[in-house]
Parts: sequence; C-alpha cells; structure tokens
Amino acid sequence: MLGFGGEREAVSKVGLSAADLVAARLREPAAVTRIYTAYAPALFRFFMASVGDRHLAEDLTGNTFVSAIEGLPRFRGPVEALGGWLFQIARHDLYDHRRKQSRTRIESLDENLAEATRSDATVDPEELAIDRLEGSRVLGAMRELSPDQREVLLLRMAGGMTAPEVASVLGKTTGAVKALQHRGLASLARVLGLRSPDETPQRPYPSPDPDRLTSQEDEER
Amino acid sequence: MQRPRPNKLHDELDALLDGRPVELTDELAPLAEAADSLRAELATYQLAPGVAERHLERVLEGSGRVVQLPVRRPAGGWEVRRRVAAVALAAALVLAPATIASAAALPGQAMYPFKLAIEQLRIASVQWSSTREAGERTRVADARLSELKRLVDLQMFNQIGPAVTALAEAYRAAKDAVDDAKQDGAAGAEVAELNGKLASVQNQAISTVVMVSSSIQAAKLPSGSTRNAIEAAVHDAQTVLPPPAPPADATPTPTTANSPATSPPTDPSTSPTSPQNTAPASPASTAPPPTSAPTTEPPTTVPPTTESPPTSEPTTPGSAGQVGDSGGLAGADERTSAEAKDVPPTTSPPAP
Repeated sequence: MLGFGGEREAVSKVGLSAADLVAARLREPAAVTRIYTAYAPALFRFFMASVGDRHLAEDLTGNTFVSAIEGLPRFRGPVEALGGWLFQIARHDLYDHRRKQSRTRIESLDENLAEATRSDATVDPEELAIDRLEGSRVLGAMRELSPDQREVLLLRMAGGMTAPEVASVLGKTTGAVKALQHRGLASLARVLGLRSPDETPQRPYPSPDPDRLTSQEDEER
Repeated sequence: MQRPRPNKLHDELDALLDGRPVELTDELAPLAEAADSLRAELATYQLAPGVAERHLERVLEGSGRVVQLPVRRPAGGWEVRRRVAAVALAAALVLAPATIASAAALPGQAMYPFKLAIEQLRIASVQWSSTREAGERTRVADARLSELKRLVDLQMFNQIGPAVTALAEAYRAAKDAVDDAKQDGAAGAEVAELNGKLASVQNQAISTVVMVSSSIQAAKLPSGSTRNAIEAAVHDAQTVLPPPAPPADATPTPTTANSPATSPPTDPSTSPTSPQNTAPASPASTAPPPTSAPTTEPPTTVPPTTESPPTSEPTTPGSAGQVGDSGGLAGADERTSAEAKDVPPTTSPPAP
C-alpha cells in the first residue's frame, strides 16, 4: 500500500497520522493527497473487480473519494478506522450504482430489448459486470461464489483489510467473515482446478440455488 | 487422517491471508494458491496517473460535488452519451492547464503535492516489474535534480535545503531499485540502459550539490536558518552523493598536461562549460582529471573523506564565478530569502 511520510510517526498501517486527518478536513492539499494515495488504488481495485469496467470503476473511485473528503468532518473515529469508513462509502456507492442501473433497465424498455438481444436474458447487474471480466480466468471464477463470499474476498484482497475490519464494514462477526472467506477461497480453488479438500460430497458446488448458500453462511453468524 | 476443526482451519487461513507464519498443510495449500491467484489478478488493476490527478482536482478545486454517473434515460442512450462526451471534453479543457502546471511545479508551490502524488502512483503502477520500477525511480530522481537546478536559478533559498535532501533520497531509491532489477535478472541491455541513466543522474547530482556547497560560501546569503538548512542538507546529501575525490596519490603536475586527452568520458547530458569541471563524473570509481584543481588544491591535502565539509571545496571567487554561469547562488547579491519567495513561477498554477 502506498503512503508518504516515512519520517513521521505512522499511526495507521498506510502511514497516515491523526494530523493528516485534521489537515484533510481543512482540505489541505498535501494531506488530501496523502489520503488519496494511500487508499485510492485499493478502492479502484475493489470497484474494478466489482463492476468490471475501467471507466466506471474510475468514476466510482473518484465519487467515493470526493464523498469521503466532503464527509470527513463527520468522521470521528481514529485514523486506523479511516479505511473501513472509506470502504463503507464505497459499498454504499456501489449498491447505489447497481440500484440505479436496475431501475434504468426497468424504465427503459428499449434499452432492455436491446440488451436482451445482446445477452440472453441476463439482467442482474452484478452478473453483467462479471461477464465483462470474462477475459480474466480468476475473476471469471468469482462468479461462482455467493455475493457475500465475493464481497468478503474483495474487501480482504483488494482492500487489504483484516478480517475484523471487514467484519466491521459488513456488520458481521469476525467468525462469520472468516467462514465466508474460507468457503469463498475453497470454491475459488475448486473452480480454478486447484485441489480443494474442503469439498464434500454432501455439498456439491456450484449450487444451483444461491439462497441455499446464503442460508448456510447465516449459520456462521 | 484427522482433519482440523473448521474454526481452527478458519483461523489458520485468516493468519495466512494476513501474512502471519502458518504451517501450510494440505488443507491450506489450495486455498493459499487460490488467494494468490486472486491477489495477482487484482494487482493488475492500477489507477492511471491522469485519473488520479483528475480526482484530486475535483476535491481540491472545491468543485467537488459528486458528479452523478451517467444514467441511461428513456430519451435514448445516444443522447446521454453525447452529453457525457461533452462534459468529458469540457472537463479535459478545464483540467489540462492544471495538469501541465503540476508537472512543472516546484517545491513550495501549490501544485507540487499533486506532482509528488502522481509520481507515487506511477511508481505503484509499474511495481510489478522491477526493471520498470527502476526506470521510473530514476526518472523521479532526474525530476528532483531538475527542480534543484531550477530553484538555484530562481534563488529560492528557502527551498534549496529540502530540495537537496529530496534529491539525495530519490537518488538512493533509484539506485536501490536498479540493484533490485539486476538481482531479479533483468536483461543485459535493460541493465545497461538503467545504469547509463542512473550514472547520468548521479554525475549531474554530484555536480549540482558541489555547486550548491561551494556557492554558499561565495553567496552573500546572510547566516541564519536558511543557510544552516542548506549546509546541513548538503552535508547529509554528500553521504549519498559524495563529492569527487581529488587526485589522491597521483603526482599533481604531470597529469595536467595530458588531462584533456585522458579525461574520462563525461556525461553527454552535461554541458562542457558547466561547473562539472570541478565535479568530474564517476567520483567513486574513477579518479577525476585534475584540470584546474592542482593549481588551487594544496599539495598536502589529507585524503578526502565522504564527509568533507563545504570549506574543503574550492572557494576561490573564480570557482564561484564558474558556478554562477547558470544563475547560481553566487549571483545572489542583493536578494534576500523573502524576496526569493516572491519570484514568480514560470508557470502559473491555479490556486487550489
């Protein structure tokens, strides 16, 4: 992860200090730049893997960052919690985008028809996004995971967050996050053709019913 | 064989993902491999420097109200795309001058933090290749060198000390990166090119630091915190960029006759009339040609150390005059530090 200020007393794991927070609230360019440099690459990877479109991911990253800096005076946590807070905004922006995308599809019959001719009745924005990532074998394999598993793995791997931090962002227990990441990686390993001893005959994968997966994970909460 | 309990496996996997030491069991190995594959895939997604600059502009220019993503409306996609293209064109026209201004920004100017951030992002975007990273870090060191020269030209004394320190740090980082590239088995031609660029930066950097060092004495810079800061920075920088060693045990006089013919190849990017005459290339590996030094150097000089104080450099008015051919510190007759601050930048970046 990037970070300036090698000489300063690093408080967060990305090298930001409480003084950076104070200065960024005042829109001090150096502090804002430090925060951007520390977190924007991770946000972009998160969005890129989520929507599969570079321009859209760039826009979402920029919007999240602008929202965060504007809302920074309301952020009262320690600097270590800044990353989690930023990813909460990122998730909110992502859901907002998907909601608008879905609504637009319903409103625009013409667009829907055109879409239908291009893809065979795939209307889920998330599925469409992953379709765009077809070139990537690994991210293509991510479509086999449940939404919760995908989100946990992306926050963990793209966002560079720890399990407790991911749990805080998602409002789950740390144990649930650990279980989700375990199941997600086991599924990913299986889809990628890596040996996955976790697979059991009682639970063939991929499951035809995503709800079934979700209910299994709910047991971990 | 007994399988570990799920919770234990979850904890071990979590530790593995955090980078903590964990025994890689048969259970964990495929999971770790899958995680590595995903990480490697995600690492290929890098934010382009131009995009980063645009985002920062949006925040710092105060125009940062969140721009709604283009939403397709019943009016038709073409119309919306046309509007988006118009907005993008307008944004590009507005932001282009700021982009150029940040590229030319000097320490102390409003756009300088942008410039540093862009550099960091560029480095981050090529870190998958040690060779490319070395090239980028060498370019950054060259940028620090150009900034220092420009600050000297503009007599912005209060920024010269930090600029010398930044140059030394950037050079050190570039050198380390080039060493890493060599260890990673970079191709011979690439290594040679990197070495060439780094040597060019090193030669010019040494010359410039020596010039600053010797010029401090000649400049009528009042002693104070600014002067002390420059002297301290020069002293520290000379541990990374050591001043050229004078001809140590060679006899001083005979070498002057054949020095023009036997002088080592100087860096092509340095001007032959520049003060490099007093700061020859490759101070560490080759003995510099004592073109004019033997006439000014005392013959009983103690073998130089890397921490030679500025006073050990030639401090004759003549040498300072040579330095000043590009507007060095020696030309600072009447200007004060406060005046130097008012020197207008060559480009006028918009105030953030």
